[in-house]
Amino acid sequence: MQAYLGVDVGSVSTNLVVIDDDGNVLVDLYLRTQGQPIQAVQEGMKQVEEAIKGKKIEICGVGTTGSARTLSGVIVGADTVKNEITAHAVAASHLVPDVQTVLEIGGQDSKIIILRDGIVVDFAMNTVCAAGTGSFLDHQAARLNIPIEDFGGLALQSEASVRIAGRCSVFAESDMIHKQQMGHPTPDIIAGLCDALVRNYLNNVGKGKEILAPVVFQGGVAANVGIRAAFEKALGLKIIVPDYFKVMGAIGAALLAKATVKEKGETNFRGFVVSDLEYQASSFECQGCPNLCEIVNISVDDKVLARWGGRCGKWDTLSKTG
Amino acid sequence: MRVGIPRTLSFFTLYPLLKPFFDGLGVEVVVSPASNKALLDEGVKDTVNDACVPIKLFHGHVVALKDKVDVLFMPRIISLDGKNTLCPKFLGLPDMVKYSVSNLPEIIETRLDMKKGKMEIYRFLYRVGKRFTDNKVKILRAIWHARYKFSRYRKLLLKGLTPEEAFTCLHTGQEPPHKEQSGQIKLAVLGYPYTIYDDYISVGLLDMLREQGVRVYTAEMVPEEAMKRMSKKLPKNLFWYYSNRVVWGSQYYINEQNIDGIIHVTAFSCGPDSMTNKLVELEAKQHQPKIPFLTITVDEHTGEAGVATRVEAFVDLIKRKKGII
Repeated sequence: MQAYLGVDVGSVSTNLVVIDDDGNVLVDLYLRTQGQPIQAVQEGMKQVEEAIKGKKIEICGVGTTGSARTLSGVIVGADTVKNEITAHAVAASHLVPDVQTVLEIGGQDSKIIILRDGIVVDFAMNTVCAAGTGSFLDHQAARLNIPIEDFGGLALQSEASVRIAGRCSVFAESDMIHKQQMGHPTPDIIAGLCDALVRNYLNNVGKGKEILAPVVFQGGVAANVGIRAAFEKALGLKIIVPDYFKVMGAIGAALLAKATVKEKGETNFRGFVVSDLEYQASSFECQGCPNLCEIVNISVDDKVLARWGGRCGKWDTLSKTG
Repeated sequence: MRVGIPRTLSFFTLYPLLKPFFDGLGVEVVVSPASNKALLDEGVKDTVNDACVPIKLFHGHVVALKDKVDVLFMPRIISLDGKNTLCPKFLGLPDMVKYSVSNLPEIIETRLDMKKGKMEIYRFLYRVGKRFTDNKVKILRAIWHARYKFSRYRKLLLKGLTPEEAFTCLHTGQEPPHKEQSGQIKLAVLGYPYTIYDDYISVGLLDMLREQGVRVYTAEMVPEEAMKRMSKKLPKNLFWYYSNRVVWGSQYYINEQNIDGIIHVTAFSCGPDSMTNKLVELEAKQHQPKIPFLTITVDEHTGEAGVATRVEAFVDLIKRKKGII
């Protein structure tokens, strides 16, 4: 069977999916990146290989996305390297064909994508601030000593959520501590935090956007039922969370790879051997000018595969991806 | 005698006037190097905390020049078109720099206020010239020469040359290479000349777009008569020269040039842009059909990745809409 692989390496998670020719998901994997994107991709590849062993599945194309898309693209030999927005939009409109709004909250970024008739017409991403993303929730859950998995459920137990300032994660944290010291029960504080996060998202990322149903909510944070409920309350709309909400970026990358391969007729996929290769990443500071760019080399067996990070073309002599 | 001109802010507007003028006076012109990390770091250290990146960068350029020149040229530019003023930071620039950077050489902070009449530009140059020579004929001849080069510069920009390319043409006297942009989509990239033409601050935005098959149009390519026409569209214009040109430019490209999308480039914490940005966005949204609009915010952090992701997604959006991919 012909299949396509999608790899989405983000700040927090590394996701891999395998889809068949009709876009059905055969394998989906959600791993923690833990600051080691290369190892995460290799580990993911190993697990994908295990999962499809003996099933007569042939990988005919591979696509990468996420903040480490260039790096992972080099490692796996990607046919297409795409930004997260396009990948998420493609996946959402594949699974929910008439989708008009995509809310995506990941580890360190959040975005809103507005589609009309299956085409992206507008989008926005959070700017410099990471308040209201998964990392912040992770951090607060750890501080309250609550497993992140239970976080959303606790919020639903609240009867009267407290008001928490969601503008800035540092201030939100002091606000939460204050509310704790006042004696508010934890579920109310967590519900307040969910409301604040949603409020911040809608005012910042969703500012001025026309949010129409069907609304699809995806990204790691969509697992949080508290945030889901807060969105439904704030928007007054039903929120659809697709089955594969965690790996939508990877699904999008796989779909894009399928389209690319169909057009060019061959794949650059390096095969599952990549999980056993020794990839070395090294970096140095270029002293050529006062910009002091940090140049990164990715090599296998002392052979440089890719290099990036420079502002000028000096180090770009190798093939350019991304 | 060496005069230093920082390579930012009004540089992209006035340098082709100043360079031949100082040449005519026999004064050597020293321009600071292209913006880079070291310059910005230096600027951030010296500037008041709440200034925008371009102002911080300007301080960096001043520091880079101060020990290499006898005089620093830093005019107080009030108005360039006789109607609007510039951003307050331009008005107070010489003061801001004097109190933030120490061990400065002599500063020429001559006032340029075109509200005083069309001849003011010549009177301004004359006042500057007096600092270097008493020979009136020499000053007048330098002004005449500068005027010619300056009008040629504006024509080169209209032809679609970037300021740097135009400087080269003016310097060598060569005819500009015939430049027909290729690409499947047309985007207007609007912002202040000192953000969009400074590759360091804009993280190479213009090249990034061209590599993705985009034909790029800027406010500097809008003919003056069109700007004038656009200035009558809004019931009230903004107060600031560069901001108005961004708004008018957007109106021109949206309503008369069939543009595929608009990118507004703004520096983080720019005051005038809080209004400029909204006006451009509304203009793009009110048009039928709606014109895709993207804001790119540049800041001290050199996050090329953030800009690249947004730009790539925006170009994808337009290409998919047009059925190119």
